[in-house]
Amino acid sequence: MPEARAEYRTPKTRHRHMSKSQLDSGLRVFVYRRMIRTGRCPTVADMAKAFKSSTKTILSTLSRLSESHAFLQQENGELWRVAPFSAIPTPFPVTIGNRSWFGNCIWDALGIPAMLSKDARIDASCGCCNLAMPVEICKGKLLATRGIIHIAVPACEWYKDVAFT
Amino acid sequence: MLLFRSEQHIDRWCSQWKRPRGGTLSLAQGWKLAQLWYGDRLSQHWQPKTAPEAESVFREVGLVGKFWKLTG
Repeated sequence: MPEARAEYRTPKTRHRHMSKSQLDSGLRVFVYRRMIRTGRCPTVADMAKAFKSSTKTILSTLSRLSESHAFLQQENGELWRVAPFSAIPTPFPVTIGNRSWFGNCIWDALGIPAMLSKDARIDASCGCCNLAMPVEICKGKLLATRGIIHIAVPACEWYKDVAFT
Repeated sequence: MLLFRSEQHIDRWCSQWKRPRGGTLSLAQGWKLAQLWYGDRLSQHWQPKTAPEAESVFREVGLVGKFWKLTG
């Protein structure tokens, strides 16, 4: 699948030749590209290998990237959220062609076809009764129109408990 | 952020979780929000939205009021 707009490739130079902001940007796009291509989030060890870097440097870079909440780390430092993707299974599977990912929530599940500019199917279900509510995106249009999105907490509190929000 | 089949199902969920009702948006608004929020995420130069920028996106989707406020 073509990966729209991302130009980044695995760095040819060691990370020590990169500034902190180049490393942040490079690692961020690397994680996205790997997630898109393989359907799986790279591990810290994968990132260290690709950037010819130490685990410590990768962890501190991920920590900086997590300040925006777009990326979020588990206690062991591995990523669990690479918004809009989830690195762990959720009730929001998204299929594009023969590839699939998980969104963190319905907003993020919609974010995957939005980010990739691709037709998609989201196998969502009602948060209350679990009734199947598939959502399809075709040629940039939303096909299903039934359904209401509910956000449990006000915007200013979203990141106090991301998992619940 | 969950999807529900109806307002009644949102109320039932809130009751089950003992939560006050939050904010709602239509699926169409959700799709537009996702496009505005994630459309540029693969750019090498992407930066997180500031609070005023995020509020501007919410307004563009028709999400206004105290629930969607991030500033002041």
